[in-house]
Amino acid sequence: MQSMRCFALLLALPVLLAGARTHESNPMNSAEDFQEGKRLYRIHCGNCHGMQGDTGRGARLARKSYVHGNTDAELFDIVEGGIPGTDMPGLWLEEDDVWRILLFVRTFAETASKGCDPGNGEAAAGKQIFDTKGSCLACHTVGNTGGRLGPDMSFAGELYTNDQLRRALLEPARDVANRYRTVRVVTADGERVDGAWMNENSYRIYLMDRSENIRSFRKADLVSFEMPSESLMPAYKGLLSAGELEDLLAYLCTLRSPAKEAAQ
Amino acid sequence: MRITAPQWTLPAAMLCAAASGLPEVTNSDLLNDEVIASDWLNYHGGYSGQRHSLLDQIDRGNASSMRLEWVFQEKISEKFETTPLVHDGVMYITVPPGDVYALDAATGARLWRYSRRLPPKLIACCGLVNRGLAIAGDRLFMATLDAYTIALDRKTGRLLWETELIDYSLGYSGTHAPLVVKDMVMVGTAGGEYGIRGFIDAFDIETGERRWRFYTVPGPGEFGHDTWAGDSWKTGGASVWITPSYDPKLDMVYWGIGNPGPDWNGDVRLGDNLYSDSVVALEADTGKRKWHFQFTPHDVHDWDATQVMVLLDSEYRGEVRRLLVTANRNGFLYLLDRATGEFLKATQFVKQTWAVGISEEGRPIRRPGMEPSAEGVEVFPAVAGGTNWMSPAYNPDTGLLYVSCREGSAMYYKGETEYRPGTRYWGSMFINEPTMHNWFGAVRAFDPVSGERIWEHRLFQPAWAGLLSTAGKLVFAGTSDGFFKALDAESGNELWRINLGARVQASPMTYLGGGRQMVAVASGGALFVFGLPQGRAN
Ligand code: HEC
Ligand code: HEC
Repeated sequence: MQSMRCFALLLALPVLLAGARTHESNPMNSAEDFQEGKRLYRIHCGNCHGMQGDTGRGARLARKSYVHGNTDAELFDIVEGGIPGTDMPGLWLEEDDVWRILLFVRTFAETASKGCDPGNGEAAAGKQIFDTKGSCLACHTVGNTGGRLGPDMSFAGELYTNDQLRRALLEPARDVANRYRTVRVVTADGERVDGAWMNENSYRIYLMDRSENIRSFRKADLVSFEMPSESLMPAYKGLLSAGELEDLLAYLCTLRSPAKEAAQ
Repeated sequence: MRITAPQWTLPAAMLCAAASGLPEVTNSDLLNDEVIASDWLNYHGGYSGQRHSLLDQIDRGNASSMRLEWVFQEKISEKFETTPLVHDGVMYITVPPGDVYALDAATGARLWRYSRRLPPKLIACCGLVNRGLAIAGDRLFMATLDAYTIALDRKTGRLLWETELIDYSLGYSGTHAPLVVKDMVMVGTAGGEYGIRGFIDAFDIETGERRWRFYTVPGPGEFGHDTWAGDSWKTGGASVWITPSYDPKLDMVYWGIGNPGPDWNGDVRLGDNLYSDSVVALEADTGKRKWHFQFTPHDVHDWDATQVMVLLDSEYRGEVRRLLVTANRNGFLYLLDRATGEFLKATQFVKQTWAVGISEEGRPIRRPGMEPSAEGVEVFPAVAGGTNWMSPAYNPDTGLLYVSCREGSAMYYKGETEYRPGTRYWGSMFINEPTMHNWFGAVRAFDPVSGERIWEHRLFQPAWAGLLSTAGKLVFAGTSDGFFKALDAESGNELWRINLGARVQASPMTYLGGGRQMVAVASGGALFVFGLPQGRAN
């Protein structure tokens, strides 16, 4: 088949973005679509995000709101094109299949909203533990105060379920996100530094040490360099009583964005 | 100085840049691409696939003073995999998904742009990419994502003809830089993840009329048809997505052919599945097969043979032979006689666990239990292979072949798959590489004949960038952590590097811009061009 449209096309025609969405919101809604979405999610996403969206080396999807976008269209573009500069790959699936997967992914939010439940703990006591006894604040930010070695806890009540929080406190090493991997180096001078991974390339490793200094080391100069599968965060098993744990959870559950609180 | 394009309004620098070559690219230019060092007239910088330039202004003594000359930037969210062409002071590049630009090769100033109107739902497994152009006469040729071959006027970017390869909505696309041989332009079809039946077409460069077609999956009655069980040949894949090499004396074009489909589940396609994962030598004038050699019969790991076929003449067992060397995705470096297709040698060049070795005849001796399964099987190398489409380079002076190597394993999963036109036909999941702990990359230099590794330059991550060799005894390499660097071709020592701020996923090239040697490489959404500080060149 051949067409000889010599000189026929003008220059600089706008390029229609290929692989693009043809819908703004999810057109899928049937039970079959949901089942298919669930199946495809297990194949394409489960490895990184966990089968229920709540574990794994990717971002937790069992949340009520996302960092990179929340509308159907935004989520579609994330899944189709990936998030540049992160481990989230572009999946290049058929449009309909992406919508089916998202139909399933949306149900995680429901789990998540049921998730963080203050229970019987006392939030005020929990805040005390967070700020002092547990020294959580030394490593985690809430609002404008706190440390930066671990992830921001300002919206912990929106981001995590009770189970996730419990797991994070009791077995922090189980599920360390790439950005917070522990790095341990020994320099030629014998200095030992550990901290949270920030970046790495062929020549250098960048980390935040326990005093929140951003440090850069030439790999070639190091006596040793490891990334143990541990968390910088201590495991609180045995350090906090069951009651203290309940108080802490109650407090974490209250940490939500005021705008969203008002809207609810 | 010659003014080659009177109708252009050229920047002054441009006129000075027009230093060499004829205004029209002749057949003799194409045959001498390797020798016409000022220009870069074919994806590989010459028919031999060596990606070696005779330019030596930049050498081991001065490479460390290289600096940025100019940058071309566009809103490119796709992988920018192009290798530019340069002729007569003008650079031609493709920009994904369907644009072509002409730039002043000395300054980067834009001259014209062609933008292809593409349908909204293109089908491409691995990004809406394009790797470059071919040039002949006053024409440029591009294979498009909507499965056309098109010809543009190189002076204006005007569309001269377009010929459809096949209906793109069935999963076909064009991504590689075409090859011009004599008065023909040749293009193969991509789409090996969509149950296509691959083929290669040759078109008349004047009219766009098809001269011949070669099916990379033989049909009923054709040689090799019986290597496909039942009707599996109809959806056998065997795509083409990298530019072939060409030997003008033998008049043979060497095509690396892609994986069989479905990729990771071979149950529906029992047999060797010719010509998937093979090199096929086609007679240029007729498209007739002269010989073929299959690297991975009945592949179930997605190890396309779409690596560059490097042609070189060298002594082998006391005789000067016409050789073809290729580092294959399956982890072995192969040496073949390119006149006959005779298998001479295979050497392992990265860690691999799927084969015990390669037999006398060149067939892999498989290790049992290394096929993908529902539970997953760990195999070295990973799906992307021991190397991939990124170009190797060969320096005739050092006699070394340079390869960007990918080390590491993947978990391979097998699943059910059903053919539906225009949709994925994989037989597994795409993300079958959850473990990256054992991954790293390396630029390695090999003696292509003995297969011996001479040196290695380690990379933190496996790279997706090709290599360029120059007579200045340099090897240029890009990396996944965003560096572009110059290595000593004899030792692998790093002489210069720069952080480009994004992964390099293209192969570099070099040319003369305004009489000075420049080195170009795409990274992120930009094309970067480097040279020596003014006055430092010889
Ligand atoms: C190779 C691992 C990997 C795979 C596979 C993967 N993701 Fe991700 N994904 C990530 C990571 C890591 C992030 C977090 C990126 C960041 O640092 O912000 C992420 C982020 C996301 C986000 C945004 C979350 C937010 O808070 O903004 C969504 C939505 C998402 N992924 C959905 C999916 C879906 C749906 C699939 C399957 C179709 C998938 N991902 C497959 C690793 C992965
Ligand atoms: C020494 C610093 C440090 C201290 C003290 C600390 N954390 Fe952490 N925390 C981290 C780091 C680093 C991570 C990220 C790595 C990980 O997930 O284990 C983290 C992770 C978490 C997470 C999981 C976040 C996620 O996205 O997975 C929660 C929840 C958390 N911390 C809560 C707490 C609470 C509550 C306390 C006090 C009882 C506390 N942390 C004390 C450093 C600390």
